Amino acid sequence: MKDKLTFYIERESSLHRVNPLTKLVMVFAFIILAFFGPGFWLPSLLVVLGIIPLSFLGRVQREYFRTAGRLLLPVVGFLFLMQSVFHPDVGDSRVLLQVWVLNVTVEGVRFAYLTASRIFVMVSAFILFLLTTHPSELMSDLTRRGLSGTFAYVITATLQIIPQMQAKASTIIDAQRSRGLDTDGSFRKRVGALLPLTGPLVFGSLVEVEERAIAIEARAFTSKLEKTSLREIPDTKLDKAARWFFLLLIVLAFGSKLWPS
Amino acid sequence: MRIVVNELHHTYPAGVEALRGISLVIEAGEQVAMVGQNGAGKTTLVKHFNGLLQPTQGSVHIGDWDTREHAVSQLAARVGYVFQNPDEQLFTKNVHDEVAFGPRNLGYSPERIERLVEDALALTELTDKKETNPYDLSSTWRKMVALASIISMDTPVVIFDEPTTGQDAANIARIANVVRVLRERGKTVITITHDIDFCAENFERIIALAQGRVLLDGPANDVLAEDELLATTYVDPPQLTRLGKRLGLPVTVRDEEQFLAAYREFIGTEK
Repeated sequence: MKDKLTFYIERESSLHRVNPLTKLVMVFAFIILAFFGPGFWLPSLLVVLGIIPLSFLGRVQREYFRTAGRLLLPVVGFLFLMQSVFHPDVGDSRVLLQVWVLNVTVEGVRFAYLTASRIFVMVSAFILFLLTTHPSELMSDLTRRGLSGTFAYVITATLQIIPQMQAKASTIIDAQRSRGLDTDGSFRKRVGALLPLTGPLVFGSLVEVEERAIAIEARAFTSKLEKTSLREIPDTKLDKAARWFFLLLIVLAFGSKLWPS
Repeated sequence: MRIVVNELHHTYPAGVEALRGISLVIEAGEQVAMVGQNGAGKTTLVKHFNGLLQPTQGSVHIGDWDTREHAVSQLAARVGYVFQNPDEQLFTKNVHDEVAFGPRNLGYSPERIERLVEDALALTELTDKKETNPYDLSSTWRKMVALASIISMDTPVVIFDEPTTGQDAANIARIANVVRVLRERGKTVITITHDIDFCAENFERIIALAQGRVLLDGPANDVLAEDELLATTYVDPPQLTRLGKRLGLPVTVRDEEQFLAAYREFIGTEK
């Protein structure tokens, strides 16, 4: 009963079928629009009219809301609070309310909301992407387009390493508790439990690095020849068109910054 | 120490129903092998014995303790559990300290710890390696360190999770010897295994699981005779058992000795 190693939810949907590169370009378009695009409400609109409807299209809305809720809301909420309370008062700002020595200004709240909504777009677009795209599919698509295998490996390994470490860590905790290690006792006991728990994790990871290196080299990883792929990844005309459209949006977003207003 | 499992159900948080009503009793000093295909529920079941998993329904008693009322670190004094991969537990600078870790956690006296460690090292043939760093040992010897580190806890029940996987013949013989010595000491030994020969040669009782239920449970010879039922959980009886059956021997055999005895008698009656 292994834990899931990626965010990926295997499901049949039109968003799942979209070419991974198209989705990646879309994610970047969302992020760049949110950070550089014009208008105070743009990031919020991107979430409400872009990312949320897409999560329904990909039939992962439940997982999306759950992940976003658990991962993002606390962070974004904290950010919002801090930014609105500690926004520098430049002198002519309207004070909304006073808490102790802190002035919460309208400008502060606006700034905090904008920052928070931008972060929200960035992270939740990636969540949506990860929920509907298997990392290995993205990587084989990118290597097919000429991305270096080493780079692809680094990305895939990074995407997978945390859940893998978690699974490993929980087995180690089980193994050491079975040897009578008390992991929920007093503070002193917990500090004492640190080495037996982290030791195998670190040693194990080091050993694993070597094994991985041998395993991938056994499959001619560094071979210079062009490699074939077992998996056909669809790339339709619509995908190409969508990518150009998103690239255009990215250019427009940057353009709106440069345009003398 | 008697193990009583009563109508045990376990459902994982992800919704997988791994155990669907298991009831069994393992008497003190019994040697039990658990077989069955991957996902049959073997590991899930034994993880209830030391409290790593809690029943969704039903109960598990180890002696007079209900596992729901005791922490894993307490249950560790009654049930030792050797995990499959030794690398997930080794962390000390030398074999001796690794083996002493368990009994120290259980709060034994220093003299008793020293005695238990020496004994466990002797039993696993590690005495000459006790100053070695476990990571300088080969994977077969690391497995023995893992075994020793549980044996030294002197628990009435010892669980082995796939002890023979990836081990050479010499090490399998060593592990079989450990099982034999533990039996002589009156310990309960429970082993999860896919190695049917190891299971047939060293265990008197076999429990076959399939889809979270007990498929077969009984003396090894009786269970191994049910080749058709065993096939439903992807377990093949040992070669000699199958050969004996093909030859039409009147009894089920599971090792050379039994096979030869039955075969001699069989030929004798033919003449």
